[in-house]
Amino acid sequence: MKKVLALLMVSMLLLAACSSGSSNGTESKKDSETNEITAWAWDKNFNIKALELAKEGYASENPDLKVNIIENAQDDIVQKLNTSLSSGTTKGLPNIVLIEDYNAKSFLQAYPDMFHPLTGSYETDDFVQYKVEATSVDGENYGLPFDTGVTGLYVRTDYLAEAGYTVEDLQNIDWKEYIEIGKKVKEATGKRLLTYDPSDLGILRTMIQSAGKWYVKADGTTPDLADNDALKLSFEIYKELVDNDLMNFHSDWNQFLATFNGGEVATVTTGNWITPSIKAEASQSGKWAVVPHPSLPGMESVNASNLGGASWYVLNVPGKEQAVDFLTKTFGSNVDLYQKLVNEIGAIGTYIPATEGEAYQTEDEFFGGQTIISDFSKWAEEIPQVNYGMHTYAIEDILVVAMQKYLDGQDLDKVLEEAQQQVETQIK
Amino acid sequence: MIQATTKQSIESKPRKYNNKLRLKNGLIGWSFIAIATAMIGLFYFYPMAQALILSFQSGAGANLQFVGFDNYLRLFTDPTFIAAVKNTVIYLIIQVPIMIILALLISVLLNDKKLKLKGFFRTAIFLPCITSLVAYSVVFKYLFGTDGIINQLLINVSLISEPIQWLTDPFWAKVTIIIAITWRWTGYNMIFYLSALQNVDNSIYEAAKIDGANAFQQFFKITIPMLKPIILFTSITSTIGTLQLFDEVMNITKGGPGNATLTISQYIYNLSFKYTPDFGYAATVSYAIVIMIVIFSIIQFKVAGDKNA
Repeated sequence: MKKVLALLMVSMLLLAACSSGSSNGTESKKDSETNEITAWAWDKNFNIKALELAKEGYASENPDLKVNIIENAQDDIVQKLNTSLSSGTTKGLPNIVLIEDYNAKSFLQAYPDMFHPLTGSYETDDFVQYKVEATSVDGENYGLPFDTGVTGLYVRTDYLAEAGYTVEDLQNIDWKEYIEIGKKVKEATGKRLLTYDPSDLGILRTMIQSAGKWYVKADGTTPDLADNDALKLSFEIYKELVDNDLMNFHSDWNQFLATFNGGEVATVTTGNWITPSIKAEASQSGKWAVVPHPSLPGMESVNASNLGGASWYVLNVPGKEQAVDFLTKTFGSNVDLYQKLVNEIGAIGTYIPATEGEAYQTEDEFFGGQTIISDFSKWAEEIPQVNYGMHTYAIEDILVVAMQKYLDGQDLDKVLEEAQQQVETQIK
Repeated sequence: MIQATTKQSIESKPRKYNNKLRLKNGLIGWSFIAIATAMIGLFYFYPMAQALILSFQSGAGANLQFVGFDNYLRLFTDPTFIAAVKNTVIYLIIQVPIMIILALLISVLLNDKKLKLKGFFRTAIFLPCITSLVAYSVVFKYLFGTDGIINQLLINVSLISEPIQWLTDPFWAKVTIIIAITWRWTGYNMIFYLSALQNVDNSIYEAAKIDGANAFQQFFKITIPMLKPIILFTSITSTIGTLQLFDEVMNITKGGPGNATLTISQYIYNLSFKYTPDFGYAATVSYAIVIMIVIFSIIQFKVAGDKNA
């Protein structure tokens, strides 16, 4: 009988431990005098290094604050935020987190009050306008803009020369001209024009943003597919690239890198963050140049667009004042930090005063002496601002299917109409 | 002598004591399973009930509201969900029979008394099963890349002139997934058949041989009927496994191109983590899988006959 009692007691204890554990978790520390903050970001060579540079600079003036920098994969950050925030607990979450611009509004609107507003804590006019729009909800500013995803058209000058073109011929072209050049280049060199992952419609996003359009209307919630002329034209251009066999397909990042590092394509059209990967193939030094992103022909569209890019957000947890102080004194105002970011990791910020600095004027020998950083910053200021809304990836998965149907020969209007209907039922 | 005394002593004990003993034994028994039961209740049934409640709610992230049966109705009009179900059914119809037939054939070959190096072959075929799902998926992704080793091999032996788009063509991507899961799970099913075959009395085969039955007749008239319960078991577990397919698709094709290889489990992942999270609808899709597994299992029991259940 004693054994039975003992067993029962143990099991009671265990159950009691389980239940008390969860009730303790909800009590949060009310200590605003924390001198330790944590920041999450992805990409060791880019974002993490940027944070470390910022930490160094901050520590020289504010030695009391301890900043923990933790590297997580971007997908992991998204998952951890979603699971923690939806269960209503902020335990274990960092003070500062990096969120991709396309995802930002999804978090800000899905979890109101979980993020600390930054309105007024830094000068929004000092930042590139499209970034400010991407980090705000209902007029309240939640994010401190970080890197820009400003796009450029990376071109192989040697392949162009074989087809009789110079870099000058590619300045400020539109997509139709781009395709014509591509046909000639393929004839002369046998190389395709560009490479793309068919499940990733980043190229469409860059096309429509250059015309100031997005998958949703300016309110961020109304799907804008069926009557979106820019999107329609982008679909047509995409099909033309595929039909003329100018598009090479890859299925993951490593194949992507291998394709242009191996000299398989004549151009790469993507965000400036690809620069380090292009330069990774040292033997191609001097053979590359960067020209402005192609515009959409026949409509209001600029030779500048954006792909990716992220911003810093502060979570509404103890230590938020310190976190805001850290961010505003580093990424929010420190011109020298941005020079270091350019010199040491090639990260182009969106802080306009920093573009006057020396590092931005450096000539890059790999790109034949072009001042690419200054060029990119110039283009970044031209990027039309759009409201990304909170459903970019959900809509894009539907569009990937629509694109497949369109490439198979279905009518474009019908395909987009169907996509529009599907999006309307899916996002509420 | 000892036996006699014990028997006597038990008989002489009063009945009351016997009851007490039974009660004590019963209590000890219950206490052994009490913790496990409580834990299963806490970690299995409580989340299941919560998920069921969740499946009647909808909204972005933390802003969930009760919507009644809306989520379940939405399933029927959601083209992505329908595409995911279609893909899963295609995997099911094509991959499960191929795998079971292969596993059966291999196990019969390995059961051959005269086969040498039996241990080596058995290990070699079972080995894929102990590799991590993610690790083998990544390897397959590289094998089947446009300039991967499979394409190079096929081009070099002049079977094809252009590389096959194993990962970016809607048809070939499905083929790649089917090849991958067949490679991974055939050995696992084979082990079940092998152990069942070793329980089949050899005298049945001897009798059949004396009666003049050839190898095919032995296989179809003896081996298959004797293995019927195991075949049923493996086809049910394979069906459940296929309905829950996630790691391979996530790592090899990410569901693409388009939704050509998307599975239901991956759609749940996308709804929860890739898009603006709608955990309510994601829970509804999970319950759709539960319902489908139940239906498929009932069908398989009926087809195979209830006696073997």
